Amino acid sequence: MFFNSLSFALFLPAVFLLYWFVFNKNKSTQNLILILASYYFYSCWDWRFLFLLVFSTFLDYYTGIRIEKAKTVTGRKFWFWLSIGINLGFLGIFKYYNFFVDSFSQLLNGFGLQTSPLLLNVVLPVGISFYTFHGLSYVIDIYLKRIKAEYNFVDYSLFVSYFPLLVAGPIERATHLLPQVKVKRSFDFEKAKEGIYQFVWGLVKKVVIADTCATYANAIFDNYESMNSLSLLLGAVYFAFQIYGDFSGYSDMALGMSKLFGIDLLRNFNYPYFSRDIAEFWRRWHISLSSWFRDYLYIPLGGSSGGMAMKIRNTFVIFLVSGFWHGANWTFIAWGFINALYFLPLLLLKKNRSNMETVSLYWNWSSLRIILSMISTFALTCLAWVFFRAKSIEDAFDYIGRIFTNQSFLPQYLENERYSYEIIILIVAFILVEWNSRTQVEPISGRYSTLKLALSIAAIMALGTYSDYKEFIYFQF
Amino acid sequence: MKQFLIFTVKTLLLLFLLLVVLDFLYTTVYLQSSNRGKIEYVYNSEARNYDVVILGSSRANNHFVAPLFEEKGLKTFNYGMSGGHLFEAALLLKLMVARKYNIKNVILEADLNLSNAHRDDGVSARFMPYIYDSKIIKDHFSGEEDFKSLYYIPFYRYVAFDSKIGLRELYKTVTKEPTAYLAHLGYYPLKKKKGNMKNDIRALKPLQNKYYEEIKQICAANNIHFIAVMTPMCTNTKGLDYFEKVKQIYPEIHNYESIVEEDQYFSSCGHMNDEGARKFTAIILNDFFNK
Repeated sequence: MFFNSLSFALFLPAVFLLYWFVFNKNKSTQNLILILASYYFYSCWDWRFLFLLVFSTFLDYYTGIRIEKAKTVTGRKFWFWLSIGINLGFLGIFKYYNFFVDSFSQLLNGFGLQTSPLLLNVVLPVGISFYTFHGLSYVIDIYLKRIKAEYNFVDYSLFVSYFPLLVAGPIERATHLLPQVKVKRSFDFEKAKEGIYQFVWGLVKKVVIADTCATYANAIFDNYESMNSLSLLLGAVYFAFQIYGDFSGYSDMALGMSKLFGIDLLRNFNYPYFSRDIAEFWRRWHISLSSWFRDYLYIPLGGSSGGMAMKIRNTFVIFLVSGFWHGANWTFIAWGFINALYFLPLLLLKKNRSNMETVSLYWNWSSLRIILSMISTFALTCLAWVFFRAKSIEDAFDYIGRIFTNQSFLPQYLENERYSYEIIILIVAFILVEWNSRTQVEPISGRYSTLKLALSIAAIMALGTYSDYKEFIYFQF
Repeated sequence: MKQFLIFTVKTLLLLFLLLVVLDFLYTTVYLQSSNRGKIEYVYNSEARNYDVVILGSSRANNHFVAPLFEEKGLKTFNYGMSGGHLFEAALLLKLMVARKYNIKNVILEADLNLSNAHRDDGVSARFMPYIYDSKIIKDHFSGEEDFKSLYYIPFYRYVAFDSKIGLRELYKTVTKEPTAYLAHLGYYPLKKKKGNMKNDIRALKPLQNKYYEEIKQICAANNIHFIAVMTPMCTNTKGLDYFEKVKQIYPEIHNYESIVEEDQYFSSCGHMNDEGARKFTAIILNDFFNK
């Protein structure tokens, strides 16, 4: 049940009505209906994995309590590592086992040792990376005595399984979400209206930007060997907007619908393509994951407190792990590695904390410098996205190589029966809208909101891509 | 909450209003169009006179060289539609009859398409703009699973078939950008391709096809001479007994499957190139129109 499907268009209003009109007695009834709705939502993907979700929830709930109640350090450590081990074990089996076994087998084959690896025929449970990380952050926070364990199972379940964030985040923190589910929510008209606007804008990003860019990006990437330099460049740009529209659109929809239930979720994107350097990009892209790795990996590894060598090591570790989090493929690891390389000069020059304020432009030379830095940052991210999108690292290098060696910049007719340049105007329009609204969450609210809402709906209907439907990219992670 | 419910109702009304306006706008544009494809060429037309009308799928579109018929003095148009099934061919013929076309002969390519009694979404989409305007189209689609959504939800059909009748096509229709569909009297010549031809049609099974029967009935009711033919396939096809099975179900269909065999005459296994199509058309002309 995708957020942009007809079945979800029935599901969401039904849950909304039940939540506010039938189960609005107290916070327990509110949480109960949300957890039932969440389990139903998840079972629509594959009911068998519901058991895994419930088990994972119970594991962290139980070990969280045991860690808190443990009287000895050894006891605390035991329950902590048990939880970490089982959580990562599930993730390892479902997501990474085949990759490791296959890679190891290829390595042995490279040394002349013929092996036939035992691969598992398993389907990746949707959202496993997201809800596992919810649970991990909760257990780690209890172990580090940052928070108290949650004793109400329904409340804790809702923290892990709340349907707007269940399958593709944002990755919530117990310190942010649990306090909200511990109190009865009252209806707030302004918040709900904001939620509708954000949901609609998320839908624009998904069906108008991401799905439209996808048809072009796929036509170019899948046939890159016959593409010229212009098409290859455009392909990288289209994929950059596809993945941004897809994931940030999903996040906007999640945040928007959650506001309908009176619950605020963590912001996941903050106009990342207006970043002036890679460090700023990573403060604005998939914020909940970046901050998760910062808090639970980078800082425990020593963060920025040690010498330069340690900082460099830690930077590479979090970028590589972040790449690997996305999927069991060398292309994702390469993508993480490239981003670490981009980050390195900023780290060495101690400029990774500059550009913290919202970007503003004026008619002067320094603004021109800002524009150039945004364009160069975007170009670097596009180059890295080629690795993310390509089927293999060799393909990615070949793709990039052809951009520079082909030297032809004529429009090409693509497999999707369109010219390669056709959606540039759509992307430029999208950039202008985002630029004008970069100080707010979405562009619809504020003055002329009814007109902007009407234009957004019209865009969804008239400009959206439906017949060549694309699933959300991040659902596979 | 009351305020929010009012806001929601207003938003839904806004949505409905936009759907109606967009639907009206798109439909109005498509009702003026007659140069983008064969369906609108028929739909937005007055009565025409034809000695020969050719119907079928791409195996009609690429195989019957309409200009060769014209050279023989036969006013002809190839209405074969690439990807189309007999569902769409039958509907197109109904529209021609409703527009009082005077047709002497219908040549129907009836072979592989007999195995399918469903619509082709890509071709059917082109009828969608006219579904409110035409009772014939409405009735033809009334048995379809998604008919209610297509007919009763404004603009739904333009969303469901956006790649065929969406904004991009609307823009090209407004700017009257020409297409290749109507060139060469509807015949679309294919180029030669190198390499070995092969195909596997063992999975196909010919059916008692409802839409084939419909075309036959329409021809009989309107005194149109009906000629059904099976057109050539390359020799390296697995399951060529399919054509014999067709003959068993419909003995009146003329089997020309093996009349052109050499790979040099094919663009792909199921589609002859221009040279092959000319050779085949010459045979058809000789067999059926040699006065």
